Amino acid sequence: MSLRAIIVDDEPPARERLRSMLAESGDCEVAGEASNGAEALDLVERLEPDIVLLDVRMPGIDGLEVARHLSLKDEPPAVIFTTAFDEYALEAFDSAAVAYLLKPIRAEKLRAALAKAARLTRPQLQQVANAARETARRSHIGSRGRDGLKLIPVEEVFFFQADQKYTTVKHEHGEDLIEDSLKSLEEEFAATFVRIHRNTLVNTKYLERITRDASGQHFVHLRGSSQPLEVSRRMAGDLKDRFRI
Amino acid sequence: MSAPAPQSERSTQFYLPDFCRARAVLAIVVICELTAIVLALARNEAVLGFWSDLARTSMFLLWVGLAGAGTLCALRGYLNRQSLAKGSALVLAITAVLVTLISTIAHSLGRRTWLMDGALAPDDQWTFLVRNLGITLVVTALALRYFYVTHEWRHNVELQAKARVHALQARIRPHFLFNSMNTIASLTRTNPARAEEAVQDLADLFRANLSEKRQQITIAEEIDVARTYQRMEQLRLGDRLHVEWKVDALPSGALVPGLTLQPLLENAIYHGIEPRRDGGVVKVSGELNKGMITIVVRNPVPPANLTVREGNRLALANIRERLDLMYGERATVKAGRFDEEYIVTLRFPYATAEPAAPRT
Repeated sequence: MSLRAIIVDDEPPARERLRSMLAESGDCEVAGEASNGAEALDLVERLEPDIVLLDVRMPGIDGLEVARHLSLKDEPPAVIFTTAFDEYALEAFDSAAVAYLLKPIRAEKLRAALAKAARLTRPQLQQVANAARETARRSHIGSRGRDGLKLIPVEEVFFFQADQKYTTVKHEHGEDLIEDSLKSLEEEFAATFVRIHRNTLVNTKYLERITRDASGQHFVHLRGSSQPLEVSRRMAGDLKDRFRI
Repeated sequence: MSAPAPQSERSTQFYLPDFCRARAVLAIVVICELTAIVLALARNEAVLGFWSDLARTSMFLLWVGLAGAGTLCALRGYLNRQSLAKGSALVLAITAVLVTLISTIAHSLGRRTWLMDGALAPDDQWTFLVRNLGITLVVTALALRYFYVTHEWRHNVELQAKARVHALQARIRPHFLFNSMNTIASLTRTNPARAEEAVQDLADLFRANLSEKRQQITIAEEIDVARTYQRMEQLRLGDRLHVEWKVDALPSGALVPGLTLQPLLENAIYHGIEPRRDGGVVKVSGELNKGMITIVVRNPVPPANLTVREGNRLALANIRERLDLMYGERATVKAGRFDEEYIVTLRFPYATAEPAAPRT
């Protein structure tokens, strides 16, 4: 069985070199190429490759974040990082991917990485994906809809709201459904989001004021969003103290 | 600079300041006066009173001090070739000889009745001489120690500054090196002629980075280095990188410290172009106006949510430091964000290689 791979790198010569090396190695077919993170995620949705050769440093959504998005898939592909020089993050690359390759990539190292990717079982790949989930805070949230993966910039998100099965994300350009749990979102974005209710997580950037109705129920009003959000009794005082609103 | 350098420098340059210059002579005068005040205070002279005693002592000490400064000025070339111990001993010996001479003259003058009834030299000649020798040798030894410590301190500061400049100069971003290597590896397969050019460009860039003689180069040479850098990055970034050059108005012979423009271009690409998916335009412009040269580098600001990459301030501080070394306060480096652009402006005086070093 021949493996299907996609190449992701923002530099054309780097892609070109990998393509010809993969062609020479023989046991891998190049299904597609992407020049940035968003393109890469889109390509993976459409082509379902076995292997993603992923440059770490890219404009916009970088390699680590792409790996993180990929790790949320039901059957994550085997990610192999490629990087020119990153003294600080090599350990992260090691755990969040099947392998990492240093540029200029050596043919034998590439072959070894491909062999390793081919050898890994589903549970093993899942394990790598779990590690990838720990590495990077995403700059975008992925929403899987009819027309593929939609990427929502986290900074444009007003709030996340959980109902039974899905989480709704309300943002500057509308709302979408995502699969992430509120708990994992809260952990990931603890720096910029705050829990105001059992089922609601709001972006502190948009906090405007808190009001109280006749029954004593508190509501949060967000800049740019007309919908007042219920605040649980327990959170109200805390929120007022913390943001002086 | 490597370790043995300070040693060799020290043996060729004695630690005493140049006594042919007014500043060092002033230091001597101050030391003499302070010593005179201490002596007059300690003596509490009953016959002459404090002020006359101070005047007398000052005059004597200034004779010794200024004669000493003159002698050291004359002997400077010789002293500079001596070792630390021998040089210091020589200075003390010179002082002793001068004190002996001047004491003898002073004593014979002081005994003349037409000079304040002979009250200026009450001691007998030998006591007078021995006391004077004792005092001046102790004070001279202290002064030598003072000059030595000051010199050591200044020397260290200079060395540290040099070392820092060199360390920074030598620092091409590792990312650039490895990405370039990768580009070249790719080109060797697809376009060997381009690969050859790229290797030559990379060699030139490293030569420029490693060269010790690049304290001052012409602006034309520096622009050349920056363009070489641009060619390397162009191979890698392709259409995403555009550089707009408007430097025809610059006098090509103007002197700049080596690696002034290239790091600015590097920063502009690294911070302004690379993080943008669709790239952008870096604008480099330069002009000469009323004897001052202005060079401006502009790049689009990176997307807002991106963490600022490190290393920018380091390169700017380095350029500022080196322009400062070359042109002093007349050189300025300004950097800041204006609307959607990040702009760095260098201003420094127009100087060419014809007259000697522009720095005084």
